[in-house]
Amino acid sequence: MKNVVVHPERCVGCMQCMIACATAHSHTKATPAALLEVPRPSPRVHVGAGIYNEGFPNRCRHCDPAPCLLACLPGAIYRDPETDTVLVNYDRCINCASCAMACPYGVIRYTEDYKAPPGKVVSVKCDNCVERQHEGKVPACVETCKTGALTFEDPAIAAKRKTGEVARSVSVGEEAREVPGSPTFSLLNALKRAQKIVNIR
Amino acid sequence: MIDPKKYENRTITEDGRLMLAKAEKDMIETVWDRHEAQQPQCGFCEMGLSCRICAMGPCRIDPFGEGPQRGVCGADADIIVARNLGRMVAAGAASHSDHGRDLVEILGKVASGEAQGYSISSPEKLHAVAAEYGLETEGKEDLAIAAELADAMMDDFGSKKSHLQLVSRAPQKRRDLWDRLRMMPRGIDRETSEMMHRTHMGVDNGWDSLIVHAARNALSDGWGGSMIATDVSDILFGVPQPVPSTINIGVLKEDQVNIVVHGHNPLVSEAVLQAVSSPEMVELATSKGAAGINLAGLCCTGNELLMRKGIPMAGNHLMTELVLATGAVEMMIVDYQCIMPALGTIAQCYHTKMVSTSDKAHFPHMEHHEFHPESATDTARELVRLAIEAYPLRNPDKVYIPVEPVDLLAGFSIEAILGALGGTPQPLIDAIVAGKIRGAAGVVGCNNPKIKHDYGHVTMMRKLIENDVLVVDTGCASVASAKAGFKTSKALEWAGPGLKEVCGALGIPPVLHVGSCVDNVRILVLAAALANTLGVDMSDLPLAGAAPEWYSEKAVSIGVYFVASGIFVVLGPTPPVTGSMNVVKLLTEGLDDLVGATFAVEPDPEKAALLMIKHIEGKRKALGLEARNIV
Repeated sequence: MKNVVVHPERCVGCMQCMIACATAHSHTKATPAALLEVPRPSPRVHVGAGIYNEGFPNRCRHCDPAPCLLACLPGAIYRDPETDTVLVNYDRCINCASCAMACPYGVIRYTEDYKAPPGKVVSVKCDNCVERQHEGKVPACVETCKTGALTFEDPAIAAKRKTGEVARSVSVGEEAREVPGSPTFSLLNALKRAQKIVNIR
Repeated sequence: MIDPKKYENRTITEDGRLMLAKAEKDMIETVWDRHEAQQPQCGFCEMGLSCRICAMGPCRIDPFGEGPQRGVCGADADIIVARNLGRMVAAGAASHSDHGRDLVEILGKVASGEAQGYSISSPEKLHAVAAEYGLETEGKEDLAIAAELADAMMDDFGSKKSHLQLVSRAPQKRRDLWDRLRMMPRGIDRETSEMMHRTHMGVDNGWDSLIVHAARNALSDGWGGSMIATDVSDILFGVPQPVPSTINIGVLKEDQVNIVVHGHNPLVSEAVLQAVSSPEMVELATSKGAAGINLAGLCCTGNELLMRKGIPMAGNHLMTELVLATGAVEMMIVDYQCIMPALGTIAQCYHTKMVSTSDKAHFPHMEHHEFHPESATDTARELVRLAIEAYPLRNPDKVYIPVEPVDLLAGFSIEAILGALGGTPQPLIDAIVAGKIRGAAGVVGCNNPKIKHDYGHVTMMRKLIENDVLVVDTGCASVASAKAGFKTSKALEWAGPGLKEVCGALGIPPVLHVGSCVDNVRILVLAAALANTLGVDMSDLPLAGAAPEWYSEKAVSIGVYFVASGIFVVLGPTPPVTGSMNVVKLLTEGLDDLVGATFAVEPDPEKAALLMIKHIEGKRKALGLEARNIV
């Protein structure tokens, strides 16, 4: 089954996934119009900053077993078997924050949503863009990511590819290949690391 | 109590750390907080790989090579990076040059008697510059010369000429090179305008030709707009001569009306200076219970007043918000450039009046009192009166001025440096030939929250003077070094033996304050004078430049005009060019074949200083002088 796979080493921190996510979870599904909606749509993916201020797209892992689902006493959180996605039933959600307390990754927020009863604050999290998937589209964050930091694929295939990359990077001899990546991005990161080392001196 | 140690990673300055603690107590958001909130910053933009030039876009190039490799128009990473860099240079050159034009306008209005309170302070410089422009000065009134000079300078802004007048100060070899490379600046506005044209979709798509024009654009600033700004400022307000003063946040006075000027153009600050000196205003201040009126500077307009009038300096770019947090500022008067739009909001926490003065620079939460030459004196007096009236509103419980100011010596125009040398550059050349002074370095540029405040400047300059390199500095760099005590004779203790001996004999500090950021051209003029005296090109000299904490587009233009003038430049913060290895290689290697100088990027100021020293020793060797081997 396909899922969103995160490749942190490729995240350039542009935050376009956040904008695309909020738009995908808006009523109008269009960026300028979405900004005028009440309630204002919010992203489910959150880009954080690492030690060197490199980006990291933090999103729901749809864990199994999912701590949030187990912690949800009203039974609002459930798993969609078709897409293996942990979802929230906004009608049942009581905004108790138990799911956020249980979540090890901090990817659950509380806000109003156009799909929730008006005025009700509910638990909002990544839904793997199930609606878009039904329309044959990939999740919005993946679609917008231009560096391949977010891909939509079978995690097993991604892991296999990564294994191949790691294996090639440690092999020696004539067949040795560079670690796939970008020399230009590596240069930027090397300079950012050097700056950080200076700053904490 | 808030622990100031918490701020050790933000600034090396004592006043900065203490004021950051005060700002936190007052719940003021500073530039460092906003920088943190912006993390991570967009990698496409950091690498120069995003393009917002046209409406087929915006576009970005995937640096990993799998996503899009061309914008909608077909521009690849090289073109996009070069276009973006070109536009940064254009913006920087435009800023300096527009500042220069404002001064030329005043010069013209002084000539026609329409500029209240302004006059010709240096007829000598007026005559000297007029002669360079080929104007007849014999038997003419100063004001008549001023009118002709203002006219001739305005022609430099246009498109009628094949080269700017003041490039004649550069060595012939350099001018021939610029002609050959099509880098000769023809008109100040023309080169900026052409850069905007070239970077429009479907015009110049040679990443290398774009960089060559960026150099021409920057040269139109260095040998044009900025040079005119400096020369006209000297004519109107006086040629700086060595002058003692004081610096840091401690220059604010607890018992006086504190007026702080911030920005770049001396037009406003000089008028304010005249107003605060008037007995009538001092009397009014006394009647409000103040012991007097205290004028202090920030950033480059502060440097302009410090250089010419010895007005104390409160701080540099990253200190501007913290100055307000003292709660002791009655009024901050701003003109333009580098004025954070956050300032007005911060001032709302205090009684401080914020005043904007330029028709082209408006800010939230500031009162706008526009300065015009016809009424500059009246406007300045009105503002000083308002500031005095704000004094009784000051809340003493909020006042915090935690440090004592540091002494400094400023005012080293080229005329002043030559004066200290006895009228000719020969003693400096002799000291360099003898190896007592290894060479000279210009350390310039801004502050940037990406690097610990003032750490880059101070660390680099200490290393340079230890190694007998004479340092000239400008702008925010000059504030950093002065606060660290580098601009007094005491600083000779930190200098290497040769530099100590020479500076000691001349009675000058090892770090010379040559002015504001437009005054970087004074360094060009000095370098050109040295090259002309020796009969070599500027690129042959044992000189280096650095901008260890730069942030602004103006700094990009400055860096490029130094490199295009043959002077090696090390940058601290990385410019947004790493997305194109071709552009990176051209800037750091290829330019050497073209203009005899390159850029380097080195975030560690210790290592950056070593690169400069190495470069200086290499140039010494090439000149046949004794040279040290630097590893």
